[in-house]
Amino acid sequence: MKIEQKHLEDLALGSVFLATGGGGDPYVPRLIAEQAIKQFGAVEVIQPSELGDDAYVVAIGAVGAPTVSLELLPSVEDAANTLAAFEKHVGRTVDAVASFEIGGGNSLIPIVAAAGRGLAVIDGDGMGRALPEAQMMSYAIAGVKPTPSVAYDYAGNVATFSTNSTEVYERHIRSLAMAAGGMITAAEHPMTGRQLKDSIIPGTLSFSIKLGQTLRENRGLATEMLAPLQALFNDSIYGECRLIFTGKVIDKATRIVGGYDIGEATIESFDNNDLPLTVSIKNEYLLARKGEKVVATVPDLIVIVDYETSTPINAERLRYGQRVAVFAVGCPQFYRSEKALKAVSPRCFGFDLDYVALEDIK
Amino acid sequence: MRIGIDVGGTHTDAVIMQGDNVLASTKALTSADVISGITNALDVILNDSGISQNEIETVMIGTTQFTNAIIERRELAQVAAVRIGLPSGNGMPPMLDWPQDLKDALDSEYYMLHGGYLYDGWSLADIDQQEISNMINSMLKSGVKNIAIASAFSPINSAPEEQVANEIRKAIPDAKITLSHSFGRLGLMERENAAILNTTLLPFADKVVSSFLGALKKRDLHCPVYISQNDGTLMSADFVRSYPALTFASGPTNSLRGAYKLTGLKDAIVVDIGGTTSDIGVLQNGFPRESNVIIKVGGVRTNFRMPDILAIGLGGGSIVSDDGTAIGPHSVGHKLVTEALVFGGNTLTTSDILVASGGANIGDKTKVAHISPQTIRQAKKTLHSMLDNNIDMMKPGGKSMPVILVGGGAILVTEGLEAASDIHRPEHAGVANAIGAAIAQIGGEAEQMVSYRTLPREEAIKQVTKDAMQRAIDAGAAADTLRTVDIEETPVPYMDESSTCIRVKVIGELAALPTNTSERIQESTL
Repeated sequence: MKIEQKHLEDLALGSVFLATGGGGDPYVPRLIAEQAIKQFGAVEVIQPSELGDDAYVVAIGAVGAPTVSLELLPSVEDAANTLAAFEKHVGRTVDAVASFEIGGGNSLIPIVAAAGRGLAVIDGDGMGRALPEAQMMSYAIAGVKPTPSVAYDYAGNVATFSTNSTEVYERHIRSLAMAAGGMITAAEHPMTGRQLKDSIIPGTLSFSIKLGQTLRENRGLATEMLAPLQALFNDSIYGECRLIFTGKVIDKATRIVGGYDIGEATIESFDNNDLPLTVSIKNEYLLARKGEKVVATVPDLIVIVDYETSTPINAERLRYGQRVAVFAVGCPQFYRSEKALKAVSPRCFGFDLDYVALEDIK
Repeated sequence: MRIGIDVGGTHTDAVIMQGDNVLASTKALTSADVISGITNALDVILNDSGISQNEIETVMIGTTQFTNAIIERRELAQVAAVRIGLPSGNGMPPMLDWPQDLKDALDSEYYMLHGGYLYDGWSLADIDQQEISNMINSMLKSGVKNIAIASAFSPINSAPEEQVANEIRKAIPDAKITLSHSFGRLGLMERENAAILNTTLLPFADKVVSSFLGALKKRDLHCPVYISQNDGTLMSADFVRSYPALTFASGPTNSLRGAYKLTGLKDAIVVDIGGTTSDIGVLQNGFPRESNVIIKVGGVRTNFRMPDILAIGLGGGSIVSDDGTAIGPHSVGHKLVTEALVFGGNTLTTSDILVASGGANIGDKTKVAHISPQTIRQAKKTLHSMLDNNIDMMKPGGKSMPVILVGGGAILVTEGLEAASDIHRPEHAGVANAIGAAIAQIGGEAEQMVSYRTLPREEAIKQVTKDAMQRAIDAGAAADTLRTVDIEETPVPYMDESSTCIRVKVIGELAALPTNTSERIQESTL
């Protein structure tokens, strides 16, 4: 398939749902993608299986605190310049680009980078959602090294990285993002076609477009959106989808700490006959609790949507007084392995609990 | 005694209220000069009620003049949009995603300058004096006087906006300037859009507010005058000269609040049928349900908090297809009185269908005698199913709800509505907007920079909320009706790790108006 103008709206909408609060608002990246496709034509999407084992691929996207992207707007040339800086750094050209995370604006940045170069984007991503840290990417979990990599900031400064471990890489690139105003574009995790096939969460780009279409065509109350969403997720790599809460946001506070948006939101049920739901945020919605009871936890997806229209809401746009619904969706099988949970279990985020799969929470 | 006036595109409505009672009401046509429409309406209600001018304590005006100007692309002044934030956002100029016809109507120009701040207080880029001089020279050449300025992170640090504004004022002393940080909150594109829309309305706002005040003076009303804003609270009339965009959603807000006042129904669907559109909104606990998503005004994304309204192209002037299967969105609008068949015109409108079916007696019904019963039946069916389908979209959940019909076009609904548990057509429904304006509420806002190190967050929010409440009470709100409608926190990391700017807005019912309310309201909205 090709990504054309007509796909961008659904892709952006679907990707905000999969972003679980993080990933940055795709609105501006979408405007940039529209311009890129207008200028360079539709972008080829290829399945991982269509890639030769020895092809050379790099993942590209933005790293930082989503709140920052509300003000520090990306430039049209950021994605292409990042890719060019990477190729210059490694001294070779890439055959295709991949996505860090299908969640939010990072679903579109690889498309923009590919458009200018006539490259293909891979149908898939490194998370199946959005997650805050590099070592949480499926590429990293499967053993792909993050470096050599480059980061490109809003003023055109380029930094290159060569680190000993993905955790150290995350610390370094995060501190660079902070120093550069909270948001940078990075090209990282260069890999062969073989490595990509073994580590990517497949099909998420086309799935995100389908999800956006479902949200658009059924636009309406979250309670009525549940059935079409369940039909879509049950038949996908995700599985279970639940509506876990409806109510009004009575408190929300996040701060930019260490290059992440960190904080909490509290939602009170409409009829007030239930305990309020507390959602912990680190860029993404990571943990949902009613009082002490965990109702959903990372790596499963927690998604907050507008109650009346089911439009997913990014954490940086969540505000006091909004009427919302909270969905939870099971994560892809990849993230349920012991190896993956070492990188993404609730404990990795400082919560004192182990992962319990959504379908096991009664 | 209060007077409520609603100045719409087609009609100017006015009411005199004593507490919750409507003593007199009228509906007049909005005049081209706005003034005579208001004075005519005032004459009627003052005569009908026998109330003398000096018994009137306040006049509250709701107006859709500014929203209509944006939607209809008229009365818009030439604008220059200045964005301070390069090198970020390069190639993403202001108004990039605006409808082309609106951009053309604004005859807009834009400038992108280096400067602004980062979230942590670092300079994003140095201001370039040469860039500013070039821009000012270009402005002098084009003669643009209305300027909107938006800078990255201006809600945290507005200095660059102020600095560039000062430079422009030095060169163009009569410039009218809107700074984006006065439209609050993070989200540069939406904040900038709000500032640009506001700026293009400034000359028109001067004209409209002067007309309002002139009309009242002409009729010897010298009491305080307020204009209602998006959330149903009041602004002093003079404040609107600088911030006309704050009135954008006051129309639907007033009609919803008016519908609540007239029926006492706290939870209901309100359908306000005018000449061109039907606005469908939802009352929740007596207040308009707000939209959670980014609101577009005239096709432009903004950051205003507004009622959740679904507008459909169905009104008293909507054009009906010959077979009755299609209605709207085109309407003859205020030309109804010349273009509709019953008034001797050549266009089949919904009003003609109503007359032909015997549902109303306006104009000359012999002029619609030739319309086939089949067309009449079909057109009525089309009209009712349009409303049904759209009410269904706005209804919270599958349960049916009471529907309140207001507005001049409410008479078009002659049958039941499947989506409604029952239909209410309150007395004075035609002037619900004016009633909504007359019962407008008092807002109070407070803002404070706090450090959570010295003051725990919950305490800090309590404190700022208390200040906001005090301001609302000082401005005339009844203390026991106050509720918090917004809490906004903007961390300001460059002051100290835990510095935060907290802004709280509360709203309450009007209790009594102390004499100095006017200044107070001015303060509480600034």
